Amino acid sequence: MLTEQTDEQLLAQALDGNEDAFTALYRRRQGPVYRFALHMSGSPQVAEEVTQDVFMFLLQRGRGFDPSRGAVGAYLFGVARNYVRRAMEKSHSEAAMTTPAEDDDPLLVTNFDPVGEIARGQTSKAVWKAVLSLPEHYREAVVLCDLQDLSYAEAAEALGCAIGTIRSRLHRAHEMLVRKLQNSAPALAGFSGDAARCLS
Amino acid sequence: MTCREFIETAESLTPLQLRLLGTKDEPMSAHARECGGCGKWMESQRLLGNALQVLRAHTAQSEAGPKVELAVLEAFRTQGFEPVAAIAPDRGAPAVWKLSRFFEVGAYAAVAAALIVGIFLGARMWRDRQAPATPVQAQVTSTLPVNPRVTTVAGKTESLGNVTTEIAPKSASASTSRGGGLAAKRSQPAVEQAATTTVDRQGFVALMFCDPLICSGEEQVIRMELPGSASASADGNGSQPVIADVVVGDDGLVRAMRIVNQ
Repeated sequence: MLTEQTDEQLLAQALDGNEDAFTALYRRRQGPVYRFALHMSGSPQVAEEVTQDVFMFLLQRGRGFDPSRGAVGAYLFGVARNYVRRAMEKSHSEAAMTTPAEDDDPLLVTNFDPVGEIARGQTSKAVWKAVLSLPEHYREAVVLCDLQDLSYAEAAEALGCAIGTIRSRLHRAHEMLVRKLQNSAPALAGFSGDAARCLS
Repeated sequence: MTCREFIETAESLTPLQLRLLGTKDEPMSAHARECGGCGKWMESQRLLGNALQVLRAHTAQSEAGPKVELAVLEAFRTQGFEPVAAIAPDRGAPAVWKLSRFFEVGAYAAVAAALIVGIFLGARMWRDRQAPATPVQAQVTSTLPVNPRVTTVAGKTESLGNVTTEIAPKSASASTSRGGGLAAKRSQPAVEQAATTTVDRQGFVALMFCDPLICSGEEQVIRMELPGSASASADGNGSQPVIADVVVGDDGLVRAMRIVNQ
């Protein structure tokens, strides 16, 4: 059964022209790739474009994939990351030409409303806004580890950095998220004003 | 459990893991109850875990639409996987690698240049050592005194201009003044310093230390009469003029001197 095979096995069969294997690989991986792009960009439209671009890229460069350098999943996340970055740069430049910036946060000056599309509750809305307002490399760590459930090692593979880097980025990102949510989420009133660490 | 141990343990967990951990980890929970700061921090992380979980739940079923799947599968059917493109090494290489390649080429060039210079210098030194020391052949027809001031300051070309001696070209005498085999005799301190060095076979005493590359070339031997002060250091008698052979290079500088008689 194709569903029991690993990503690498499916890709190897797809490279031999097996359409079923490629379809199985696509259906297994498109969801995580789409959600990664969605969480990173906040736009379903961008997420769809990125997902399509990622698999088109796989068709173009799939033969160059080296399993010894990492898993297919991490490879796809790495490709998706680059496409998301490109899409965000494009949307930034478009937004800069059409609308003035509302505040200092670069991610919130874009002219789409990411939260309204999907978020249903105030908590989700506030958290997503806070995640979107994180600097890009912190956001990547949060999205991969906290929202996509990747291990530190898998996230490090996808982002091309050390595990320690992921850990430190995550730690910093969590501190920033807590600080942002203190101010912006009434529903999360439990966030303490000063979560300082005592190292006695 | 100390606060440091608590933080280290807690930081190794994501907020979601921390939330799921709950009160299962007794030492952590106990410390969080005892320490206000750690308790607050843990509570904030749990709340963050809850919040992230809400966001996750909202987007858990989000997927790309059927149009994307159709487009991707259509591309697979029509063109399939493209063959591996031969990427030029420089194009595919990261900037650091390109930089290292640049330095690598530079290092090879530097080594090659050093080798060439080394071979050149080695050949010159070898040739200089192999050249036999032939006697100086200079024929003097007449001598006249020269300006003693100039002679004592290492013989400038201008000073030799008023010498009326007949100069015979020196054929093989270049080797007598080349290299460091001759003693220095520029001034009185220099003479003392050079006392331990050797004197040329023909009796010439070097008046300057020369780089073989600079001091090479045609040289001439001039016989001239010098004031006694020029040879005072030799025998202490500075009153009588002396006749000496002076080796003068193309640049007009005096290379060596030999007292013929006094």
